[in-house]
Amino acid sequence: MTEQPELVIASSPTDAGIGCWDLHTGAEHLRYRSCSSPSHGLTCIGGRFLASSQSQPHNTKSSSSGSILYWSWNKPQVEVKSFPAEPINPLVSNGEGTFIAGGGASGDIYLWQVATGKLLKKWQAHYRGVTCLLFNDDQSLLISGSEDGSVRVWSLIMVFDDLLRGKARQPYEYSFSEHSLKVTDVVIGYGGANAIVVSASEDRTCKVWSLSRGKLLRNIVFPTIIDAIALDPGEDVFYAGGRDGKIYIAALNAFANPNNNYGLHILGFLSEQSKAITCLALSMDGGLLISGSEDGMVRVWNTKNHNIARIFRHAKGPVNNIVVVRQQSLLSSRGSVNSQVSSVKRHGVSLAPPLEKYANSTDENDYKAVIGPRNDPDRAVEASYISIQTLNNQILELQRQGSSSASEMEIERLKLDRSRSIQMIQQWEKKFQTLHQFCVTELLDGEQAGNA
Amino acid sequence: MAASSDYTIENMYDVALKPRLLRSLLKEYVPDLKHQFRNPPVLSYVVSAIKTHQLLSESAPLESDEKLIENWTATVDSWVNRVVALASSDTPDKCWAGISLLGVTCQECSRERFLASYSAWFNKLLLHLQSPEDSHFVKVATCASLSDLFTRLNGLPNAKKDGISFSSKLIQPLLKQLNEDKFDAVWEEAVFLLCTILDIFPSSIQRHYDGVEDAIVLRLISGKCSPSMLEKLGYCLALLPKSRGDEDSWLLMMQKIMLSINNLLNDSFQGLEKETIRTEAMRLLLPPGKDPPPPLGGQSLSRETADNKMRPEHLQISRISTLIFCCCKLLTSSYPFQVAIHVLPLIALTKRVLMVDGSSSPGIAYMTTMKQEFLCSELPVLHSHTLDLLSSIVKGLGSQLLPHVGSIIRLLTNYFETSTLPELRIKVYTIMNVLLMSLGVGISAHLTDVIVNNSLIDLDERGTSSVAQQKIYPETTAKTSHKKRKHASTSSSLEEQPDSDVFEVEMCPTVGSLSVKIAALEALEALLAVGGSWRSESWRVNVDHLLLVVTRNASKGGWAKDGRSKLVSEPTTMWGNYQIAALRALLASLLSPGRTRPPHLSQGLEVFRRGSREIGTKVAECCAYALLALEVLIHPRALPFLDVQSTDNKYEVGNKWFSGISDRAANITFHIGTSKKAPDESDSYNDDLYADWMRNSEDSDTVAADHGNDTDKSNQPQATLGDPSSEKLPSLDTTAVKDSKSSKLKEVAPNTVATKIPMDRDEVMAESQLSEETSKHSEEILPSKSETLASISSGKSSFQSSSLVSDGNALNPTGSEVQAEKLVLGAKNNVVSLGSEKFVDSASRKEVAEASDAGFASSLMMNVDRGKELMHESDNESMESIPDIVDVEPDSD
Repeated sequence: MTEQPELVIASSPTDAGIGCWDLHTGAEHLRYRSCSSPSHGLTCIGGRFLASSQSQPHNTKSSSSGSILYWSWNKPQVEVKSFPAEPINPLVSNGEGTFIAGGGASGDIYLWQVATGKLLKKWQAHYRGVTCLLFNDDQSLLISGSEDGSVRVWSLIMVFDDLLRGKARQPYEYSFSEHSLKVTDVVIGYGGANAIVVSASEDRTCKVWSLSRGKLLRNIVFPTIIDAIALDPGEDVFYAGGRDGKIYIAALNAFANPNNNYGLHILGFLSEQSKAITCLALSMDGGLLISGSEDGMVRVWNTKNHNIARIFRHAKGPVNNIVVVRQQSLLSSRGSVNSQVSSVKRHGVSLAPPLEKYANSTDENDYKAVIGPRNDPDRAVEASYISIQTLNNQILELQRQGSSSASEMEIERLKLDRSRSIQMIQQWEKKFQTLHQFCVTELLDGEQAGNA
Repeated sequence: MAASSDYTIENMYDVALKPRLLRSLLKEYVPDLKHQFRNPPVLSYVVSAIKTHQLLSESAPLESDEKLIENWTATVDSWVNRVVALASSDTPDKCWAGISLLGVTCQECSRERFLASYSAWFNKLLLHLQSPEDSHFVKVATCASLSDLFTRLNGLPNAKKDGISFSSKLIQPLLKQLNEDKFDAVWEEAVFLLCTILDIFPSSIQRHYDGVEDAIVLRLISGKCSPSMLEKLGYCLALLPKSRGDEDSWLLMMQKIMLSINNLLNDSFQGLEKETIRTEAMRLLLPPGKDPPPPLGGQSLSRETADNKMRPEHLQISRISTLIFCCCKLLTSSYPFQVAIHVLPLIALTKRVLMVDGSSSPGIAYMTTMKQEFLCSELPVLHSHTLDLLSSIVKGLGSQLLPHVGSIIRLLTNYFETSTLPELRIKVYTIMNVLLMSLGVGISAHLTDVIVNNSLIDLDERGTSSVAQQKIYPETTAKTSHKKRKHASTSSSLEEQPDSDVFEVEMCPTVGSLSVKIAALEALEALLAVGGSWRSESWRVNVDHLLLVVTRNASKGGWAKDGRSKLVSEPTTMWGNYQIAALRALLASLLSPGRTRPPHLSQGLEVFRRGSREIGTKVAECCAYALLALEVLIHPRALPFLDVQSTDNKYEVGNKWFSGISDRAANITFHIGTSKKAPDESDSYNDDLYADWMRNSEDSDTVAADHGNDTDKSNQPQATLGDPSSEKLPSLDTTAVKDSKSSKLKEVAPNTVATKIPMDRDEVMAESQLSEETSKHSEEILPSKSETLASISSGKSSFQSSSLVSDGNALNPTGSEVQAEKLVLGAKNNVVSLGSEKFVDSASRKEVAEASDAGFASSLMMNVDRGKELMHESDNESMESIPDIVDVEPDSD
């Protein structure tokens, strides 16, 4: 199997660590220690390592600063600790793992560069705490949901460029304010500008937005508060995990029987009489739905027949984050971990430095782009042999008249021919002389004999 | 086959053929030591025969005769002996032939043979590289063969150590060769060999790093290299940091190159730019207080090459261009280590060069007209390379460029305004294309204006009227509703222009302008693909129309035939490319979702259909693809939910995990209406389209009639709504509904209440979906909406409300209800148009419409059911935005 295994990683708000299982074999991998994450606070940075913001213990006095922890794939201990200026709740990185965005309890969004830890931008995004953050599929937009009920779409280019922002009427692309209560989850579909955004809120609705229009397309009312959404890759349905322990299936593009029993656009639900569903994720191909529940279990559902395929037990306390990742290289073969790590270390791509608390410098020139190590896959495949090509070129040159190197070779050859001919002549001469000598001697001898 | 294989050959695939063929090649064509080598071109035939029949591979199917294989091995042995003997021959042409064939052998022979003899072969080849008296011809062949030997070595697992030791042995003579030789041909092969080694065994060059750098730079700046040579040298220089394998050497190389460019620019641009620009550029490259690195390539840059016949300006600019090319290679090549680079100096460099257009600004140092003239003649080349650098920056840095994208956009926008040369415009379009593809939706909004404006100019075929068109656009970009109306009129004026006018086009534009058009079309295509629906109201109409006109004109003189292109001069293929670019852009414009159904769909289809008839050409390929893609627009479909029974379940888990939970699984209940299937369901179940058609025709009277009946048993609103369709339509599932009717009323109840609320929300949603005029209209409806619903819910007769639902098909209510009906219908229409915009396909539009019909029905029915006790509540609901579950049990039984 060349494909990397899909891993389910889960964390909880109580200090139960990060559980990690192979989605398809069910094998449990390392459990990463000392993580108590807020909702949406667990993420995987470009498949390279795990990161989680930490929920603040209320009793400590250092609550003015938050913390973000990194774990490398192969060590259970926390590898890097960062202390941002305020508690961070949602944490997300873009697909490549170059930027990491965190939403603060104050409504600010922080944007760091992963490779240098530099705080690139910090801006007031919402009036109240940010509850969820995500990048769109081409990684150019950042979408945030907040306790104040608004969902905002930010263009990263605008965020970075003061001049463009100055020209625009508002700093964001859209602000959706139709939710009346805290936004609990936001997901975005595929398709660049044509994508849809689905948001869930404590007002018991899920709303479907058009990204290109910035308008509400559909409002779906659920019988309970929805805390988690997962969007089917084909986008015919989405799954909504409710506080009543059911996972509702809501129609987007699918044929919805308008006469069913569950409410407009709701096709049905999955249920196992569990406690409230807190988080949902889908496998990459959409065939498996993974749900986390307040009872500490992680359930894997088959989305085709709606049976439970597996159950992972994470903790006694609630699970509040589930991420499905295709992890890069390290865990896939445990035997080779060491060599892999050492090669990684040698090339200087160990975990990233801690994230800065404040933006240190205003000098633009300070920004460094980090080009990661790349290898050229096609180099190995089409190794370029050239001698045949060279041979043919040289033959062409030989046939052409007047080519200097061709004539040079010709001269060389002629010189050699000449010297060989001279040698030949000399040999012939020698032979002739020997023969001549022989004849003369024979003749003289014969004569002498005759005379005698 | 086995017994007689020595003598007979079955067919051209037969293994027995191979040794025989090889032997006859040896006998007839390959030179030997004794005889004169008269006919070098025959080697080409030998090599192609070897490659085609894999004569050296020695790989036979398993069942082949052993004797046969022995025979083959022996023949290959004699081949190798002959080739090696030739390579040691003192006759240059035989030696050359031997070395060349040895290279081919390295590539073609079996793995075992290569492993056994590569070191002997290497030593043989090395000898030729070292001996000074060999002819250039032999040296070129030696380099090529050595390169192939290393390439082959790379694929073998255990040969790495040997490879490194070989290549370290090789470097010294190779460097000597590079420093002494003046022949381009030898250089080219030697540099290729160097690149191969750098690529495969980079560490072996570590000790000669500086020597290699000096030699390459010296050659690079000599100004005498062919373009292909420059490319190889640049590539080689960019690969060099691999040999040390660390970030610092890469950064040092970059800094050295940038500083060299900077110094050369300072010389060339004297008098063309302000002093502040120079100091700023220097400050960025070398922060104050830091020591400058040693100059690139030792001292060679400052050394004047005496034998140069070129003007100094020309030489300088060509040096800058070459060094910029090296920068590009450094940015885009792949390295095994990570590199952190300062982005600003790179962007500042591109900005600095692109700002200079050759005009000497007054007040700056005096400059002779002669110098200005020379510089101006060279500037386009420099700009072209600088744009390449920009493109490499975008490609190499990807999303990390984001903090600087704003300034790049401004730079390109300004540059586009002044640049008129085709080559430069093409490059700008290409960079925008790359930017769009790599940075997605976020950037499309900022590039739209510049791409649309410029491509309107470039694609305009009416020549003189282009100025007029230029004027049109700025107005259309304005976003106020007042200007929108204006925009509508301009677009219609564009469309109203008689086709004859548009079609009066010169059929053979120049190649240069054609390639600009192609680039413009490609940029438009990318824009439509990435941001075609992102705030596109202001420009889509114009662009869509323009693309149709351009494509029609492009196809007017017939489609380009691929086959002909080899006989006819260049513009024909260019014309073909233009047609394809136009077709692709038109396809993007039809596919990219806009506000409405694509207005030019039928015309576009006609063009594609015509094109698809040109069988076997690129145009037909493109058109066939377009027709396939567009088919969904013509026959829209919303697929039904996955059919569980028929799909095999690859996620069925048969291990202990599953058995552990099977007890619990038994208790799990599922409520998926559509996933259950009645045994007697007809085949049309999956044919959603069919169902839609059916529903369309039956809908109205069915619903109307049934609702009339339903009023009697209105205590079961869900069931009654479910019944009519399940009876009339085979496509709808009945079991689930019946299930719910009998056993799950308790669960149904809260959901049923919930359906009422979304209805209100759907209306709101519908309004927000409408284009401005319509939404204004529906705003008028809005205030009265709550009243309407209230009046309906308090309405006395359920019969009336059902007639509302059925599109006013049945009876007309009287008095105030007439008004109510209008309003509700108005809202319904909104829902319909909402569907059409959201999902382009009309099937889902119908669905949405129907779903909301049903929603209406249920909500109305509910209202009726609950009668007056709920009246005030429904009043509130339409005002509030938090739909709470209504606690009242709606089922009266």
